[in-house]
Amino acid sequence: MENAAIFGWALLWILFWGALGGVVTPRVYARKDLEISQASFGGAVIGAALGPFSLLPLWFATPKITSRLIGIAIAIVVGIFIAAFALADPDNLCVANGGFVISQLANGIVIGIIYGLMALGLTLIFSILGVVSFAHGEFYMIGGMVTYFMTAEWIPGVSPIIAILASCVVTFAIGYLFERIFLRPMGSGEIERPTEYAILVTFGLAFFLQYLTQALTSAVPVKAQRFFPFPRTEIPADSGALLKMTPGNVTVFDAISIPNPRFTAALLALMMLAALLWFLYRTWVGKALRAVSQDRQAAAVTGINPNSMNTLAFSMGAMLAGLSGASLVQVFSWLPQVGIPAAARSFVIIVLGGMGSLPGAFLGGLIVGLVEAAGTGCIPDATRAAAYIPAYGMVILTLVLLLKPTGLFGREL
Amino acid sequence: MNLRRNLFWSLIALTLLALLLAACGGQTETVGEPEPAAEEEAAPAATEAPAAEESDDMDMEPIKIGALAPLSAPGAVVGGEAMRDAMLIAADVLNARGGIMGRPVEVIIVDTEGLPERGTAVVERLINQDGVVGIGGGYHSSVGVAAKEVARDNGVPIVFAETWNDTITSVQYDEIFRIAPLSSEVSAVDVNFIQWLRDENGMKLDKVVILTENTDYGIPAAENTTALLDGAGIASVTFSVDIGTQDFAGIIERVKAESPDMIVTLATGEASYNFTQQAADAGIGPQDVPFMCNQVSLVSDAFWTNVPDGNNCFVRRIGLPQKLYNDVAQELVAEYSARTGKDDIESYAMASYDSIMLIAQAIEDSGSTDPADIIDALENINHMGALGPITFPINRSNTPDQAGVDPKWWHQFPDPAITIVQYQEAGQDAVDTAVVYPNVYQTDPPVIVGQE
Repeated sequence: MENAAIFGWALLWILFWGALGGVVTPRVYARKDLEISQASFGGAVIGAALGPFSLLPLWFATPKITSRLIGIAIAIVVGIFIAAFALADPDNLCVANGGFVISQLANGIVIGIIYGLMALGLTLIFSILGVVSFAHGEFYMIGGMVTYFMTAEWIPGVSPIIAILASCVVTFAIGYLFERIFLRPMGSGEIERPTEYAILVTFGLAFFLQYLTQALTSAVPVKAQRFFPFPRTEIPADSGALLKMTPGNVTVFDAISIPNPRFTAALLALMMLAALLWFLYRTWVGKALRAVSQDRQAAAVTGINPNSMNTLAFSMGAMLAGLSGASLVQVFSWLPQVGIPAAARSFVIIVLGGMGSLPGAFLGGLIVGLVEAAGTGCIPDATRAAAYIPAYGMVILTLVLLLKPTGLFGREL
Repeated sequence: MNLRRNLFWSLIALTLLALLLAACGGQTETVGEPEPAAEEEAAPAATEAPAAEESDDMDMEPIKIGALAPLSAPGAVVGGEAMRDAMLIAADVLNARGGIMGRPVEVIIVDTEGLPERGTAVVERLINQDGVVGIGGGYHSSVGVAAKEVARDNGVPIVFAETWNDTITSVQYDEIFRIAPLSSEVSAVDVNFIQWLRDENGMKLDKVVILTENTDYGIPAAENTTALLDGAGIASVTFSVDIGTQDFAGIIERVKAESPDMIVTLATGEASYNFTQQAADAGIGPQDVPFMCNQVSLVSDAFWTNVPDGNNCFVRRIGLPQKLYNDVAQELVAEYSARTGKDDIESYAMASYDSIMLIAQAIEDSGSTDPADIIDALENINHMGALGPITFPINRSNTPDQAGVDPKWWHQFPDPAITIVQYQEAGQDAVDTAVVYPNVYQTDPPVIVGQE
């Protein structure tokens, strides 16, 4: 980094005024008997954005801190951060190479969509059952394993779509059985300490599934072939300057490249997401699920069986994790332990987005995907950039929890 | 009522599980997997005719030898399973010969998971709970670096089979022996090969990208390689990742932006598979740029499953080409092939076999199971192993100072052969790969891709 001091001072500015805004603003609003639920978060981002130039008017005028105001402030903070980085390290690829930046953004969005899909399952389970499933990573692993074995071992040549559907069926069925046998007693009051019970029983399921899979398939990594290889195409035909496709990659404008397995995995995830949204918002059962997540007792009064919704939510959550795994088994080498980091990332995402919030989970996935891509691409030290991947999401999570403990879309307590 | 209902569902689940197990059991046999080693401890095998005379002795308390292998992630499981199979063969061979000093041999294999803290714990357990008199195997350097301290504290010898970090021997502990090559020597071979590609094959080689792992193997190996490349006038950029990294998309974009003339992978296990295939998807794989894959790529079934676009990979191979195998190696390969269905044995599996056999011979030579006596015997050993004649010429009676060599040669097998092979056909078996370097072993010229 050529001018590290510029970046350091900018960071210091953001942190100092952000911290001051976060601490003082709620007190100012409280003294004036105003709504303070957004004061800490809003004060922090508004302070980080323009320092005293925004904080003093805020403290004197005390306007209502709206989501729009917060959004504008966040955009300014991100702008300051990017500008300082560009000034500090003008030769960095993230500054000097537009194609590289867009490729990284595309990679971040693509992987973020898949993270989001997986986290959706976890947050769906939490919103209905109030249970954090520690076996979520194992459903992800099983989804990938079923797809691999279907396409490569059991029925070679079978359509990947059928294999993915089979993964969905298997993970849905395991989730269904598990909920009926182990989680249903929680709802009927048979369990004295249901919260602890849920943690332990899902942990138990995680270990059981992981080691059962290892016993059945061995711990040697496997990987499915590309589901839908691109046809070899060049536009224009002689140079491929506009579009160049090989079976494993698509390159647009000779600069932006997206590997085929990621592209198809993200498309599958988007299609599944659309189907899920349609189900939740357009069908009676989906509306019933949402009703139970909002008010269990009121939903029961209207004739919805909360126990059935519990079973459905857990099974669907498991299926969404399985679907994420099924779409990614063509991207990563697959092991019985492959779900551990994926589950850890999902926990980060749902806390970041707000526990139980479906839009929050999806947005959280996108944010984590983008931050990971930006961190990996832009950290100047090549020997550190990728080594910090697990830390990027944690940094964002820590910041959000400091400023907004309920997460981005979490319900206020 | 609820209890009865739960019992009903539990029975259904157990029935489904039993059906699943039965279905998958049949599948395992058809894919030619090794016999599942349900027991990690190799029980003393039935002895053959000459040993039958000693059946009374064979009922005695077994001599226990420990064995280290990564058998679950994030360790290099492919390597660990190969090592486990070879060390189980060693146990069976020893017992078939009548054991050691007439006593049966028990090889206790433990899973290090490729993690130093786990390695420390299992070595502690092997020594103080299981009562082993020596330990063989070992794959990950970070495990070796940590485990050597436990061996030192307890005075029990370890013969490391596949841990390359120089400091494992350069600390000059009496208890630590190694038949794997030194990391710095391997780096020298890599760079000599790269120079050879440039100087004798006319390849353009101005910049090399190194992908390494943040471990006691990867970091020094990358530093050594960088220094040697620098000395050869070749620029290099190193990218480091955690051992279990899956997603390399961001790093691969950066590698592309460097426009490297060659890529060298120093990451092990499935991380190396993930990197190589994701690089291939992005258009900078082995078919696009000269690419050195990690040696775990020599497990060809797993390699082609995980890296279908890995053709033209250069792979560093420790040990001689198969045509130069001695009798011990040929017998080992025959047995290993029969058990695993593979055509050849991986170098680290061969070294693991030798590490157990070395300890066994040291016990025989010393006539004692006292670890101190075994260490004395190892220092003076002359063992004809699958890797060739194995000795440790730099030892307490011929220290590095006296011999005028670097301390890294302490208790170090000096002659592990290193060749560079290349997959030149998609789906090729490792045994059929072309030996491209050095010239003395060359079977085919290298296929060099991406040169305009």
